[in-house]
Amino acid sequence: GDSWGMLACLCTVLWQLPAVPALNRTGDPGPGPSIQKTYDLTRYLEHQLRSLAGTYLNYLGPPFNEPDFNPPRLGVETLPKATVNLEVWRSLNDKLRLTQNYEAYSHLLCYLRGLNRQAATAELRRSLAHFCTSLQGLLGSIAGVMAALGYPLPQPLPGTEPTWAPGPAHSDFLQKMDDFWLLKELQTWLWRSAKDFNRLKKKMQPPATAVTLHLEARGF
Amino acid sequence: VMDISLCLKRPSWVVDSKRMRMASHFQWLLLTAVLLYLTNQVNSQKKSTPHDLKCVTNNLQVWDCSWRAPSGAGRGASYEVCIENGSRSCYQLEKNSKIPPLLPGDYEITVNPLYEFGSSKSKFILNEKNVSLIPETPEILNLSADFSTSMLHLKWDDKGSVFPHYSNVIWEIKVLRKKNMEIVKLVTYSTTLNGRDTVHHWNWTSDMPLECAIHYVGIRCYIDDPQFSGHKEWSDWSLLKNISLPPDSQTKVFPQDKVILAGSDLTVCCVTQEKVLSAQIGSTHCPLIHLDGENVAIKIRNISASASSGTNVVFSVEDNIFGTVVFAGYPPDIPQKLNCETYDLKEIICTWNPGRPTSLEGPRSTSYTLFESFSGKYVRFNRDEVSANENYQLFFQILSNQEVYNFTLNAQNLLGQTESTLLVNITEKVHPRIPTSLKVKDINSTAVTLSWHLPGNFTKIKLLCQIEINKTNSEHELRNVTMRGVESSNYLTTVDKLNPYTIYTFRIRCSTDPFWKWSKWSNEKQCLTTEAIPSKGPDIWREWSSDGKNLIIYWKPLPINEANGKILSYNVSYSSDEETKSLSEIPGTQHKAELQLDKNDYIISVVAKNAAGSSPPSKIASMEIPNDDLKIEQALGMGNRILLTWNYDPNMTCDYVIKWCNSSQSGPCLMDWKKIPSNSTETVIESDQFRPGVRYNFSVYGCRNQGYQLLHSVIGYVEELAPAIAPNFTVEDTSADSILVKWEEIPVEELRGFLRGYLFYFEKGERDTSKIMGLESGRFDTKVKNITDISQKTLRIADLQGKTSYHLVLRAYTGGGMGPERSMFVVTKENSEGLIIAILIPVAVAVIIGVVTSILCYRKRECALKTLEMNPCTPNNVEVLETRSVAPKIEDTEIISPVAERPEDRSDAEPENHVVVSYCPPVIEEELANPGAEGGGGSQVIYIDIQSMYQPQAKPEGELDSDPVGGAGYKPQMHLPITSTVDDLDADDDLDKTAGYRPQANVNTWNLVSPDSPRSTDSNSEIVSFGSPCSINSRQFLIPPKDEDSPKSSGGGWSFTNFFQNKPND
Repeated sequence: GDSWGMLACLCTVLWQLPAVPALNRTGDPGPGPSIQKTYDLTRYLEHQLRSLAGTYLNYLGPPFNEPDFNPPRLGVETLPKATVNLEVWRSLNDKLRLTQNYEAYSHLLCYLRGLNRQAATAELRRSLAHFCTSLQGLLGSIAGVMAALGYPLPQPLPGTEPTWAPGPAHSDFLQKMDDFWLLKELQTWLWRSAKDFNRLKKKMQPPATAVTLHLEARGF
Repeated sequence: VMDISLCLKRPSWVVDSKRMRMASHFQWLLLTAVLLYLTNQVNSQKKSTPHDLKCVTNNLQVWDCSWRAPSGAGRGASYEVCIENGSRSCYQLEKNSKIPPLLPGDYEITVNPLYEFGSSKSKFILNEKNVSLIPETPEILNLSADFSTSMLHLKWDDKGSVFPHYSNVIWEIKVLRKKNMEIVKLVTYSTTLNGRDTVHHWNWTSDMPLECAIHYVGIRCYIDDPQFSGHKEWSDWSLLKNISLPPDSQTKVFPQDKVILAGSDLTVCCVTQEKVLSAQIGSTHCPLIHLDGENVAIKIRNISASASSGTNVVFSVEDNIFGTVVFAGYPPDIPQKLNCETYDLKEIICTWNPGRPTSLEGPRSTSYTLFESFSGKYVRFNRDEVSANENYQLFFQILSNQEVYNFTLNAQNLLGQTESTLLVNITEKVHPRIPTSLKVKDINSTAVTLSWHLPGNFTKIKLLCQIEINKTNSEHELRNVTMRGVESSNYLTTVDKLNPYTIYTFRIRCSTDPFWKWSKWSNEKQCLTTEAIPSKGPDIWREWSSDGKNLIIYWKPLPINEANGKILSYNVSYSSDEETKSLSEIPGTQHKAELQLDKNDYIISVVAKNAAGSSPPSKIASMEIPNDDLKIEQALGMGNRILLTWNYDPNMTCDYVIKWCNSSQSGPCLMDWKKIPSNSTETVIESDQFRPGVRYNFSVYGCRNQGYQLLHSVIGYVEELAPAIAPNFTVEDTSADSILVKWEEIPVEELRGFLRGYLFYFEKGERDTSKIMGLESGRFDTKVKNITDISQKTLRIADLQGKTSYHLVLRAYTGGGMGPERSMFVVTKENSEGLIIAILIPVAVAVIIGVVTSILCYRKRECALKTLEMNPCTPNNVEVLETRSVAPKIEDTEIISPVAERPEDRSDAEPENHVVVSYCPPVIEEELANPGAEGGGGSQVIYIDIQSMYQPQAKPEGELDSDPVGGAGYKPQMHLPITSTVDDLDADDDLDKTAGYRPQANVNTWNLVSPDSPRSTDSNSEIVSFGSPCSINSRQFLIPPKDEDSPKSSGGGWSFTNFFQNKPND
């Protein structure tokens, strides 16, 4: 009787095994692919920004397009800053990391749209609009990863939404400085994001060798 | 007398003037003495009397006079001042007192100190001229600055109310910069005092932004009163006023976001507490101009137009940069090519060309306003549109009751404005849009209806539309239609005069009346018109079959413009007086029918049918109207056409038919026919099938009551060619002094033209020796007979020598040229008659002469015997040598020389006929084997006598080749290499090509297989290539070869035996 009971219990357990989510690897692929997708998108945007920045800095004129031009970051405090202390960056958890990414790109996208409104030439506007669309895609992708990992999206705080205020308050030169910093900050953020997502990816997918190979094949 | 009086008078005048001058000098001396006296007097009394009277005024109302008080006089001392000017007026004054202004002139002033003891009164002479006018120091009411434009604004009061009358004032204004007060501007400014206090303004724009450094302004004035005769002096400078810098300015670089005319100069400064390290405009570094403190400026001269985002000016300090953007550009150009038109009479579209770019973009770009002066309405140009399509245009709504519009287009930017104007009657500037929805609808087989849509309110005007009608393989046709305009609707028109069953392509465009511009062409619409009955019956002809039993009816397919549809079938019927019969329907693809008719006269009728119906019948009579006097004519064409003419025949009522065929074909033939209207007497027949050298028969028929009569027949060539072959001829008869030659006609196919005649050449010559080389060249002993009677087929050649070999050549010729030759050798018979006569007639004298004759005969006999010994041939006979064996004696036999005899001869020419006639060669021949030439199958002829004669002189082959004679002039008749190789030929060729004279004997031609050798003289006469076996001075062989390309002698070397071998039995 007991042996039959044991057998029945074992059978039931075995029967239930596929239903245990942790073991059900074939059904839901998990956040891995979407992280990979986000990482790829980040690298693509990096590439796209390189050509956009070249065009835009030429539009701003010298000295903004000079290779050694490196003005101090002044008056652009509202721009989300990508550079952090390495220790601080390491201490961030996944949720915080993703939240910071999401918030940064939300702001940057908003600034970028303002940039588009200011641009004088139609060609530049087209390039900017194209990049904005791509960045919007990245934002959606990050939101997807956060949702997959079960993190809530950060709610935009009322009043912190950056506003673009062209006019006498902002001289053309300061505007150009802002534009310069916007592009520079965007680039730094894309570097940081690539690093963030790479780290996240490794964490989510332990058999990393195959993925690394895959990444190398897709490398820019 | 007069001279003297003048002389006398003049001195008196000179004396007067001198006197006057002396008098004035005297006065001056006197005055000076008085002044000296007075001064002395004053000085002497200085100590005790008031002295040094001085008067000034600043408003001409009051004179401020002052004097030095006498020593010892205390403060507050009073004086009595009396002024003597006619009346005496005295004032009790203190020192430095004001007196009313005095009129011009000298006044005695007495200053008497009151209550001062020991001092005496002083007297002064006062004149306005001694008074100084020094205006009051002006005061700046206000100094303000417009920093955005770097403009200073100065305001001051002229205080004119204190001046009694109008006078001019000169103001001098100075602008000082920086703390060390460098003068940057000094300017004078004139005004007028008008008795009232007036506030004056003066503006000045600084070349340097006012924020860059402190600016001070001072002012002074000078009153230029014309009525005042005293000294006029500048006032003192006012107190300096300065521009206070804007408090707490964020920006550090000035000016900010400045729009400036390209090419002008600009100063940019940086206001900072830190040390500025460098400054640059764009990528160009600039030298720094130091201002107060750490402030610096740079000067930009002749600034160039900016790029779209402006020109950056950047100042770098230790750890920061400051900058500004300068927008250098141009004021707007006058708008060019302003044009206003309307598409639909609802909206006016004005376009223009902005002209020279301003280099200012974005918010600084040119703004355009289109203003209409009659209605007072205007529209503004939206800048965003321009960057979208680079098209400058503005839309203006049409006003219902207005046709004439006066537009002004104003262009404005921060550097200036321009405008251009246009007066337009908009109903004359309608450029309709592209017509849409083009539709085609059938009406009948020759007309369709076109409908289309044209948007726009055209109710007030007329439309002019153009329809393009395209027919396949045809020029397109344009038709104009005018119609009343309507409000955005469909338009309809009929297109007629079309062909049935034809594919048409229509498209349409419209304009308005008066014409301004065509719209674009609408899309094309294709349409096939419906079928109509064939407009004509088919073109028919009939021929009797060769056996004469059947009549074949031919007809041509109807051209598409007459078929008016797809021909489905033909109906053939025939009717005699008694009956009418029809054949069953013949399908449309077939174009002939065969009828079995009896000998009755029938009228044959052919009808073509398409879907719309039947054509009118085409009729033809089966029988031909006989013609008794039929003439055959000749005609020649050109190219692929031939002209035929005939006489006008009033009996021929319907038409003429020309029928033609290739005459070389036997039996009835029909290549084609052509119908010609009955009023014509000529036509040109043209066909691609016509070939040169082919004879065609043309038959001209006249038509009468559907019956045809052959009027005449024409044979013709489109181009004549020379005969392809030579006529065959034979020797019919020979006698001692004549030869009768007979020849055959050349067949028509070979004749290739109209035969014009024959050329017959004959000359003395043996087969071996006669090289008939170019008989035409007119050798003196060649006789030529031109036989132009082409019906003649025989020819007797008389007056020949007996027992002589003759070379005969016959060739035919046409309009196209000479045909090939055919030649023959004939030996005449011995003149036996002559001998008989020679014997019979001198019978009477024979006895006397007999002895002599006997002796002579005896001698001659010896010689003859000797000859007979050498030559086996029998004299007095024409011999034809057929084989190598002893030739049978055949008189006058013609043997055709086979082509094989000349295997290299690739000439198309007819091989020559050879009649080989034996004769007695006068030289000894010997056949030797030539080892070098044996391969060619030939043997060498060695002429012993000649060889023995010339052999010592014969050059070796090598030497021959290098013979410097070079082929020119004379060549030895004998170059006789024993062995020749083929290699020699080339060199020899070269020589001979240039040779004027030909050797009589060139052994190469005898010995060698030499297909390329130019020795051959006549393509048709191989004999010429045979070496002359005659002695060099007996038989001529002197005619140079004519045809260098002609093939060579056959078989290489030659000998008589060889010749025999190669004879016609091959």
